[in-house]
Amino acid sequence: MVAYEIFQLVVFPGALFVICLAFLYEWVDRKLFARVQGRYGPLYTGPAGILQPVADFLKLLSKEDIVPRACDANLFFAVPVMYAALPLTALFIMPIAAPEALVSFEGDLIFILFSFGLMTLLIFLAGWSSMSRFSAIGSVRSALQMLSYEIPLGLVLVCPAIAARSLSVSGIVQWQAANATWGAALQPIGLAVVMVCMLAELELVPFDIPEAETEIVAGWRTEFTGRRLALFRMGRDLEIVLVSALVVSLYLGGAQQLWLVPAAAMFVIKTAAVVAVFSFARALFARFRIDQMIAGMWKYLLPIAVAQVVLVQMGLGA
Amino acid sequence: MGYASTVKVPFGPQHPALKEPEHFLFEVDGDTVVGVTPRIGYVHRGIEKALELSTYGHGIYLAERICGICTIAHTCCYAQAVEELMGIDVPPRANYIRTIMSELERLHSHSLWVGLVAHEAGFDTLFMYAWRDREVILNLFQELTGGRVLHAINTLGGVRRDISPEMADKVRRALEHFEGRTKEYLRIVRTEPTFLRRTRDVGVLKPADAARLNAVGPTLRASGIKGDVRRDDPYVAYDEMPFNVITSDSCDVFGRTEVRTEEMMESIGIIRHALEHLPEGVFRVRAPRNVPAGECVSRVEAPRGEDMHYARSNGTAKPDRYKVRAPTLANIPALCKMLVGIHVADIPIILAGIDPCFSCMDRMVFVRSGGSTGRAR
Amino acid sequence: MSIVGEALRQLRRKPCTVRYPAEKAPVPPRFRGMPAWDMSKCILCVLCQNACPPGAIRLIGKGPEAEIEYLMDRCIFCEECAEVCPKRAIVMSDRFELAGFDRSKMVFRFRKEKEKQPEPPKHSAPTANG
Ligand code: SF4
Ligand code: SF4
Repeated sequence: MVAYEIFQLVVFPGALFVICLAFLYEWVDRKLFARVQGRYGPLYTGPAGILQPVADFLKLLSKEDIVPRACDANLFFAVPVMYAALPLTALFIMPIAAPEALVSFEGDLIFILFSFGLMTLLIFLAGWSSMSRFSAIGSVRSALQMLSYEIPLGLVLVCPAIAARSLSVSGIVQWQAANATWGAALQPIGLAVVMVCMLAELELVPFDIPEAETEIVAGWRTEFTGRRLALFRMGRDLEIVLVSALVVSLYLGGAQQLWLVPAAAMFVIKTAAVVAVFSFARALFARFRIDQMIAGMWKYLLPIAVAQVVLVQMGLGA
Repeated sequence: MGYASTVKVPFGPQHPALKEPEHFLFEVDGDTVVGVTPRIGYVHRGIEKALELSTYGHGIYLAERICGICTIAHTCCYAQAVEELMGIDVPPRANYIRTIMSELERLHSHSLWVGLVAHEAGFDTLFMYAWRDREVILNLFQELTGGRVLHAINTLGGVRRDISPEMADKVRRALEHFEGRTKEYLRIVRTEPTFLRRTRDVGVLKPADAARLNAVGPTLRASGIKGDVRRDDPYVAYDEMPFNVITSDSCDVFGRTEVRTEEMMESIGIIRHALEHLPEGVFRVRAPRNVPAGECVSRVEAPRGEDMHYARSNGTAKPDRYKVRAPTLANIPALCKMLVGIHVADIPIILAGIDPCFSCMDRMVFVRSGGSTGRAR
Repeated sequence: MSIVGEALRQLRRKPCTVRYPAEKAPVPPRFRGMPAWDMSKCILCVLCQNACPPGAIRLIGKGPEAEIEYLMDRCIFCEECAEVCPKRAIVMSDRFELAGFDRSKMVFRFRKEKEKQPEPPKHSAPTANG
C-alpha cells in the first residue's frame, strides 16, 4: 500500500508523469505555433520532433554555467530550483488520474492562487538577483503585470468555488461530475477572463512584456544560462501544465471518465486542447506596452470579472 | 519630483533589436526618454577608399555591397554617376529594366520591413508571413538576374541581362500573387488592434521637423511631405511611369507602415506598366575604360529614401574621390527627434520605423583634433 | 485578431519551409553558381583574370603549360569572367553549397590537358554542370 502511494507520487500521476507531460506540451505549443506561421517547428529529434524539448533540456544541462560576478549568489542559485519545484508541487493538488487529486484539502484553490503569485515573486527575485539592467526591467515589468491580472484572476477563480460550495479543486471537479455539467457552460465569461489572465501569467504574446525579446533581450531570464536556464524552462513548462490543468478542472469537467476513456486520458486530451488554444492565441497578436496592458486589465477585465462574481451571487451559473 | 533622476540606458552596439551594431545612449527618466546620443561608425568598412582604388568597371561590385538590401539602388546610383562622367547614353530598354529592378527591390525591401516592424512589436506571425511572401520576389530576382541578393544586373552602359517575354509573364504572374498578399498586409496593419496600439502616435515626427531635419524616404512622406526623388528628379525611366507619391498625415510609425505598404501597391503598378511598354532595342552599350576628368552627383530613391553618390574623376581608370551618402544617415537627426519623450518600450519599434541600415551609412572616421577621443562620424 | 482567418488556413496548408538538407529548392537556369572552366576551349588569354573584380582568377606559369588558378574563397560570383571569355570556356554552374572550414580546399587549378590523359584535380574540380 505504501509502495503504491510512493508509485503514485513519483511516477503516475505524480512527478514523472507530469514532467513528461510538461515536455509534451512544450512540443505541442512549439509545433502548433510554428504551423500557424507556416513553419515546421521541431522536426528531427524523435518522430516529428517530439523529443526536442527533452533534447533541449539535456543540452542546456550540459552547457557551461556562467554566474555573473555582480549577482546575489544565494538567490541566483536558489530561485531556479524553486521555480521548477513550485508548479510541480502545486500539480499534486490537480486531479489528474481521477476526480480526486493525490493531495486535496479544503482551500487548496487558494493555495493554487497563492502559488501563481509566488511564481511571479520568484520571477521578480530572479531578475533582481542577476543585477543586470535588462533583468531588472524585466522583473519590474513582471511584478507590475501581476498587480494588474492577479485581482481579476482571483475574483473569477472564486466563482466556480461559490457554485460548487467547495474551495478545493477536487471538490469542484466532483461537483461538475455530480451535476453532469461543465463550468464553462455555466460561466463562459469567467472562462474567458481566466484565459486572458493566464496568457499574462504565462507571459505569452500579447503579454510577453517581461521578456520582450526585441526590447529587453530576454527580460528577467537574460543572465541565466546552462542548468539554471534549463530549470527555468522546465518550470515554465510545468506552469503551462498547471495552468491548463486548472482551466480544465474548474471549467472543462476535469479528469472524468467518459464511457471507456479513462480519466487520465480525458485529462491529457483536454489540457492539450487548452495548450493548443494558448499557442494559437499567442500567434494572433502584437505585444502590448506595459502601460496599455495595465490600463486594459483594470479598465476592462476587472469590471468583467466583478460582473461574473455578481452573476454567480445572483444564482446565475451556479 | 524635486530630484533629477535620470538613468543612462545604453542600447547597442549589441542588442537583439538592432540587427546591426550601432550605439544609442538613452537618458531615461522613469519610463520616459529625455535624451539620446547616437554614436555611429561601428561598421566602417572603408568602402569609399576601396572604390577609389578599383577601376570604374570593378567599382560597381563594391557599390553593390554598400547595402545588402538596396543593391540595385546603389548600383543604379553608381552607374548613373559614372555614365554621366563618361558621357554615354543608356539605351531606353536598359532604363526600363533598371526601373523594373528598382521597383522589385522596393517590394522586397518594404515587405522585409513590414515583417521587421511586426517583429519589433512582438507580432511574430505577421513577420513570418511577410518574409514568406517576400520569397516570391527573391525567387523572381534569382530567375531574372541569377542571384537572390546580389543581383549584379546593372553595369556601366546598361544592364547585363535582358527580360525575355517568358520572364515578363513570370513576373506578371508573381506580381498577381504578391498584389493579393500586399492588400492582405494593408488590411492587417490597418485593423489589427494590438498592432495599431503599438504604432499609432508612436515616434511622432511633425512635418515641420521632418523638413527641417532633412528626413528622407518613407520617413519624410509619412510626415505628409511629398518628397520622392523618383518624382522630383526623375532618373532611369521614372519620368515615363505613372505613379502616385504616397504620403500619410499621421506622422507616426503607423503612418510609415501605411506609406510603405501602399508604396508596394504603386511599385506593382510601375512594374506592370514598364513590362507593358518595354522598348525594343539593345540593353547595353560599351563603356570606355578611362573617364574624362569631371565631377558628378547622382541621386536615386532607394527603398529607404534618397541615396546620393558623388564621383570625381581625373581622367584615369579609377575615380579620384567617391562619396556615398546612404539614406539612413539623413534620417538619423530626425530619428533622434522622434526618440525624445517616448516610452522605453517604444524604442525598438521607432528605431525600426526609419528602416535603418546602419552598416550602409557608416562611412568615414573623423578624429577630432584637440579632443582625446576619436569619434566616428 | 485580424489574422485569425489566415492562421487557420495556414494550419491546413503545408509549411513553406524547405527542409533543407533533405529537400532542396530548385536552382533556376542561368543561376550564378560557382564558375567552371572548360580547359579544352580556353586559350589562356588572361581576359578573365583582368575582368575579375576581386582578383579570384590567376594565370600561373607561361605558355601552353600555364594553369588557371581559381580562388573560390575570393569569388563574388559576378559572372564577369564568363561574360568576357572570348571562347565561352567559363560556365557559371549551379553549385552553391560551397561553404567549408578549410580555405586551402577552396583553391582550384585548371590546366590544359596535354594529350589524352586528363589529370583530375585534387579537390573534386567542378564540371560544367556542377
Ligand atoms: S578568358 Fe576564357 S579563354 Fe581567356 S583565359 Fe579566361 S577562360 Fe581562358
Ligand atoms: S564570377 Fe566574378 S569573382 Fe568569380 S571568378 Fe568570375 S569574375 Fe571573378
